[in-house]
Amino acid sequence: MARAGRLFRHGGGTVGSDVDDAYLVRRAQEGYVDAYADLVDRHGGLAYRVALRLLGNHHDAEDVAQEALVTAWQQLPGFRGNSSFPTWLYQIVTRRALNRITRTRVTESLDLLGDVSDAGAGPGQHAERDLTVDAVTAAVSALPPPQRIAIVLHHFEGLSNAEIALITGSSIPAVRSHLFRGRRTLSKTLAEWR
Amino acid sequence: MSSPGQPIDDVNLLLSDANQHLACGADIDELLEQAADGYAGQFTSHQRDCVYCQAALREFGRVWEPVRSLAAERVAVPAALKGAVASQIRKLVADVRYTLQLNDGGAIRIAARVVARIAREAARDVPGVRVAFGRSSHSRMASLVERAALGHRHPNAAVGVLGRTAVVDLAIVAQYGDELDAVAREVQRRAVAELRRKVGLRDVTVNVTVDDVIT
Repeated sequence: MARAGRLFRHGGGTVGSDVDDAYLVRRAQEGYVDAYADLVDRHGGLAYRVALRLLGNHHDAEDVAQEALVTAWQQLPGFRGNSSFPTWLYQIVTRRALNRITRTRVTESLDLLGDVSDAGAGPGQHAERDLTVDAVTAAVSALPPPQRIAIVLHHFEGLSNAEIALITGSSIPAVRSHLFRGRRTLSKTLAEWR
Repeated sequence: MSSPGQPIDDVNLLLSDANQHLACGADIDELLEQAADGYAGQFTSHQRDCVYCQAALREFGRVWEPVRSLAAERVAVPAALKGAVASQIRKLVADVRYTLQLNDGGAIRIAARVVARIAREAARDVPGVRVAFGRSSHSRMASLVERAALGHRHPNAAVGVLGRTAVVDLAIVAQYGDELDAVAREVQRRAVAELRRKVGLRDVTVNVTVDDVIT
């Protein structure tokens, strides 16, 4: 698989980077709010990234990431540590994004241009890149939610089928089947675009 | 199954609903998975000699290239996200404040989390401390005193000290090999001194828990 193990990668540079997630979770559960701030530092990016890929626009992604991180804080007393904190956070974000998908169907462009350092590219390359990003975003957003979730978690987040099954509360064969169908649909859409 | 003949290099033909296998018998979904995962160029022993598989993998790889390239991009997290989360959590956490002064002009208060933050920063500067977290809680006694004072405020006693007691808990992770007792005492000493200096809190209780050591 493309990027297995990325799930357990830690963001560096925070003060609490000497300790693992489980330590921070325990302290946060005891009321040390700053320990939770460190968890947000480490994994806030994950929440936003998944929301962005699932929803297709920055505005909704920021809202959903924020909701998910606050929900995680509220539900932290009930988190028993049976899965890793990122896996648990993936569950919360995916569920909240799904709620939003079923409420609204409008998708805008990802437009990551302003956020990504791309010093070598000229204006023409930017425009072409924009079109590509728009096409992929639109194609992903057009997938039915179960296929979209499977595609985003596997092909964008690098998670294994087993990890996705855990996050979505599904089975490995079901995840595999959503991936197969999602890949076929996505391939046909992108082939037509080209 | 596709009929034998020319290898197909059109994605829509390859993926038409009737097609599950190539003419060579290879499973189309597995080839698509291989290409989508970025292994279109890594042939199995069968694929090394199979023009059907090679054509399909080449085409799937080409179609998936933009997806893989977007997936590899670093997504910048909005700068405001962490602050927005912290602000919402502050609303959820009981908004505890210490009253430092109660005078005719009003009350001067400081949030318990500011007190905790000052203590934590002091702890982090102590050699041998690798990680420190702080929490502070308003003592029940302090809130009773404040309520009583508000009800029976006397003009002459206006500029007073009230609730200048604070209880701070510090959880620290220390460097392995250091004298933990000495490290903890130094944390206590510095936190107390900082709270006295910066906030004017007089009776400060700083509980230090060394809950882990790291090498």
